[in-house]
Amino acid sequence: MEAASIPAGPPASQRIKQLIGTYGLTAVLLLLPVIFAINDLSEQGNLVRLGENLVAGLSNGAIWALVAIGYTLVYGIVELINFAHGEIFMIGSFISASLIGTLGLTVDSSFIPVFFGLLVALVVAMIGSGTLNVLIERVAYRPLRNAPKLAPLITAVGMSFILQNVGLLWKGGNQQGVPDLLDAQKTLVTVFGVTIEHADLLSIVVTVPLLIVMTTFINRSRLGKAMRATAQDPEAARLQGINVDTTISLTFLLGGMLAGAAGLIYAMYQTTIWFFQGFTGGLIAFTAAVMGGIGNLRGAVLGGLIIGCIQQMSDNRLGSEWTPAIVFSYLVLIMVFKPSGLLGEQTRDAG
Amino acid sequence: MDAGDRVQLPGLDHGVQAVGPSRRADEGRRMSVAASEVQTPPDPTGKKSGFQLPGWAEKGLIPGVVLAIAALLPFIPSIGDKANLMQQMAVALAYVVMALGLNIIVGFAGLLDLGYVAFFAFGAFAVGWFASGHFAYVNDEKGIHFLVSGNTLNLPGIHFNFLIVLVIAIVLTTIAGMIIGLPTLRLRGDYIAIVTLAFGEIIGRLAVNLDETTILGGTPVTAGRQGISPVDRIDLPFFEPFTVLDKKPWYWFALFLVVIVLFVNFRLRDSRMGRAWVALREDEIAAVAMGVPAVKTKLMAYASGAAFGGISGAFLASLLNTVNADQFQFSFSILVLAMVILGGLGSIWGVVIGAIVLSIINNYLIPDVINGVPGDLGLEFDMTQITFAIYGFLLLLMMILRPQGLLPERRHKMELTEHAETTDETLYTARA
Amino acid sequence: MGVAACGDEDEPATGGGNSGDQTAEGKSLTVFSSLPLQGASRVQTEALVNGAKLALEQAGGKAGAHTIKYESLDDSTAQAGSWTPEAESANALKAAQDESTAVYIGAFNSGASKVSIPILSEAGVPQISPANTYVGLTTNDPGSEPGEPDKYYPTGDRTYTRIVPKDTIQAAALVTLMKQDGCTKVAMTNDKEVYGAGLARVIELSAKEQGLTLTSNDAIDKNASNYRSLAQKAKAAGADCFIYSGITANNAVQQFKDFAAALGSDAGLYGPDGVAETGFVSEKDGGIPASLNKQVKVTVATLSPDQYPPEGQEFFKQFTEKYGVSNPDPYAIYGYEAMKLALDAIERSGDGSKEKIKEALFATKDRSSVLGTYSIDENGDTTLTDYGAYGVENGELKFDQTIKAQAQG
Repeated sequence: MEAASIPAGPPASQRIKQLIGTYGLTAVLLLLPVIFAINDLSEQGNLVRLGENLVAGLSNGAIWALVAIGYTLVYGIVELINFAHGEIFMIGSFISASLIGTLGLTVDSSFIPVFFGLLVALVVAMIGSGTLNVLIERVAYRPLRNAPKLAPLITAVGMSFILQNVGLLWKGGNQQGVPDLLDAQKTLVTVFGVTIEHADLLSIVVTVPLLIVMTTFINRSRLGKAMRATAQDPEAARLQGINVDTTISLTFLLGGMLAGAAGLIYAMYQTTIWFFQGFTGGLIAFTAAVMGGIGNLRGAVLGGLIIGCIQQMSDNRLGSEWTPAIVFSYLVLIMVFKPSGLLGEQTRDAG
Repeated sequence: MDAGDRVQLPGLDHGVQAVGPSRRADEGRRMSVAASEVQTPPDPTGKKSGFQLPGWAEKGLIPGVVLAIAALLPFIPSIGDKANLMQQMAVALAYVVMALGLNIIVGFAGLLDLGYVAFFAFGAFAVGWFASGHFAYVNDEKGIHFLVSGNTLNLPGIHFNFLIVLVIAIVLTTIAGMIIGLPTLRLRGDYIAIVTLAFGEIIGRLAVNLDETTILGGTPVTAGRQGISPVDRIDLPFFEPFTVLDKKPWYWFALFLVVIVLFVNFRLRDSRMGRAWVALREDEIAAVAMGVPAVKTKLMAYASGAAFGGISGAFLASLLNTVNADQFQFSFSILVLAMVILGGLGSIWGVVIGAIVLSIINNYLIPDVINGVPGDLGLEFDMTQITFAIYGFLLLLMMILRPQGLLPERRHKMELTEHAETTDETLYTARA
Repeated sequence: MGVAACGDEDEPATGGGNSGDQTAEGKSLTVFSSLPLQGASRVQTEALVNGAKLALEQAGGKAGAHTIKYESLDDSTAQAGSWTPEAESANALKAAQDESTAVYIGAFNSGASKVSIPILSEAGVPQISPANTYVGLTTNDPGSEPGEPDKYYPTGDRTYTRIVPKDTIQAAALVTLMKQDGCTKVAMTNDKEVYGAGLARVIELSAKEQGLTLTSNDAIDKNASNYRSLAQKAKAAGADCFIYSGITANNAVQQFKDFAAALGSDAGLYGPDGVAETGFVSEKDGGIPASLNKQVKVTVATLSPDQYPPEGQEFFKQFTEKYGVSNPDPYAIYGYEAMKLALDAIERSGDGSKEKIKEALFATKDRSSVLGTYSIDENGDTTLTDYGAYGVENGELKFDQTIKAQAQG
């Protein structure tokens, strides 16, 4: 499958092409920030505005990164675009929001209950979303292993509709406010005129450890190795005595847990949740996964952070209505310049 | 996969189902068909099964009868007198055209397109731009009129005859198809899906946001989510202009489009181009090595698939009397794709059935039948609360029960069956 | 554009308000409503349908001698999750071909009305919209598009009426309110829909006229997860107030939070009737946080609850009794009134024919209702012009003052 591309030129020109590819992509990604930086410097004489955009972008992007890992893990192992993954993330948000309500946490609660309450919510949301994802795999994808490649895509869409309906029944059609326990938009510190808010801190504090744990797990542990082996070549992995079914379930579990965590952070960060957030968030996170190189964990994180920054810059300068178009334009450009993504080439299908 | 399917596995030269009649339709008339038969390796296990209709019957009779029945339906008073039913049937036929277009891209050529809605949008905007009062300021607010009659002559804006608009729609979408196709040429599998998805979203965004960019004397390019409406009705030479309340002519026109598109589809499939698509889908390296021009072939698939989408989009815009950017969303691409997959990838009659079945589910089964069930049972439960879930559940159920589609194409089906027999442990996909 | 007679029909005058016509026997008539029952607008449309049902029930399923059946149609599909042109035009056709059709209540979205009006106008079916405020549906006032409204009435026959005032009036009211509160520079966002974008256009016109500076009119992406960068931009432009032109379901709560955080706790935050509902103002129901309550003001064309006529009070009591909602969604009242008006027009029509019902509808004069006393003018617009400005207190809308706005744009 690897060789199934249109015959390329001789190796030398291939290398040059690749160089152009890499630099072209970097250039494209740097284009907006550089233009804005020049613009800011000439107009205001400082880079505060750009700095604000980037800080907001990184912390927003950290959420996308967590969701993107779910896409990347699943895609890496079964080559399926798990359309229902965004909804798993949404359900994670809903679980946390409901739990916060049940625990009786409000804006006035003091630090200790809030801290432990959120910790409980985090664990429950992760377990809930993870289990749900495993169940979905069992019900909707596993029976279709031998079906045409596109069949599970449709069941994924079906699952996504079902979960959206669950969300709609659960919290209604409008966006739902969540108690702003952390005072998300309150300034924490100001560095060179750039404000860093509570929300920014939250997303970094939860995301970074989770990412470290996850990468260590996949790189070091036995199960993680089994996952990587299955992703490389399921047939060979089976011959090596790896239980492919269990490994796939585990992958869905991990992806779902991260989505659940992302759901909690999202609820605390944005302080608004919505049954449709999974659909749009899912598309964005999926874009992030592709941008970083689908199948590549670090790529998904990088992609998420970049998309977050692009979104915030676009909101601030080009208008929020254009943001989705800008994000998707970047996606097309990346596909043109370097289809395997920024750090890609770790899957069977990278091309 | 149930056992019945395996037993049925036909030899390549002896189709069982009436579904694929015209695979052999042109047998003996054109050399090219013979060539295609030669290209495909004979299947040693193939044997005739079931009863077979003579060639001429397979070729023309069954489709002919079906189409004749479809054409006569409006004469039944309980059907023809219900304008909303006629309209829904016309919409379903428009979806058939659209699904057949997507089938060329996904089914024949194997290029997974998740942004098909873009072609719907271009087709619809051909009507919005060239057959409505949208550009009210052109020609000193007197409008530009071309081969239109009656009231329309007095309206401002650009008004072309619908047949010309159809041509414009085809040209627009063909170009759009090629542009969208270009960046995907080097890509394979899901990567094509991603790029087309991105394009579909970008086109949808442009449709929504270009209501702030004005051209031609101050008219916005699109009317965004506010919609261009009303638009001109279809006005064919020798016929009375179509009316809003009588939907029968619309239905017949849609049926006429379906017939034409079916014909073109069969001819395309059995042409050199059709075989090139299949060859690329099956094994790109081998096909290229055999001299199939990959770039041209892929672009042709996008272009022709897009053209059908454009035709259907233009018809739908005129039928529904509006061009609203809210129509051009990702979920629409998925709906059309679901029609194709449900019917059976690459199977022309299968796709026709898939499109009709999903239209019925969406427009009739859920709103008119299922939603009434709790009421009939005397329950105070409002079913519209869970229509999303019902729709999703039906998709899920149909795929699990019959993943190969309602009427699978023989070649696809064969692959599947073989596949299932050899490697049971493979994952969702064994083929990229 | 000579098709329509530019809206100056004479029939209303002849229709008269005399309800004394006696018919031998009543007919069995149907009132249809066409609303998006699925997706994000579900909360409001459910309230509308319940309101309409309640009105019919109170009337004992009768209008004069006629027996009335109510059929609620859905103009959304599961696949789209919002109204679709297919569903809306199919509904309109269904009403158009049905012999027993008396009145068509709908549509909810102005865009959908653009689709159904031409069909119903051609079929002569009287229409009452409980929610549309877009200017161009009935008049060519500033804020409408060229060719409007005549292009929606291909036969020149006006059949469309609405019980909510058109945006021109609301825009003027909002601008008046903001000036009164001391806003100098206002940042505006709109949700790009027919309602939101249309209202934003007239707010711009009105602001120019009344001398209020709008720093921006940003169209938003309703699916965005937040609007912080957008709010930062408004802050940088020196805005001291914020107004959102759109509906709750298009991410209103998030916008108010983000703009409040950026503009500070003194900034006034304003919204139109699209957000005047519990789902927006009550923190309990997922609306804005209590800390924003004192900053937010919204306008609605309904009176203060305590100023309702007795039948309005009765409505609240019964609605609460029947559906168990203590503070009904504002759309419940509109649904109720739309049905009441329909029944009233049917009764006044005498013979219950579409033509007569339409004449009666357009001849509505000084009707006292839960919305206040109003008439329907020759364009089909309500004559209500008083807007109520509401503050928010403890998560509930609290009547503040009545704004007499200049209707002229």
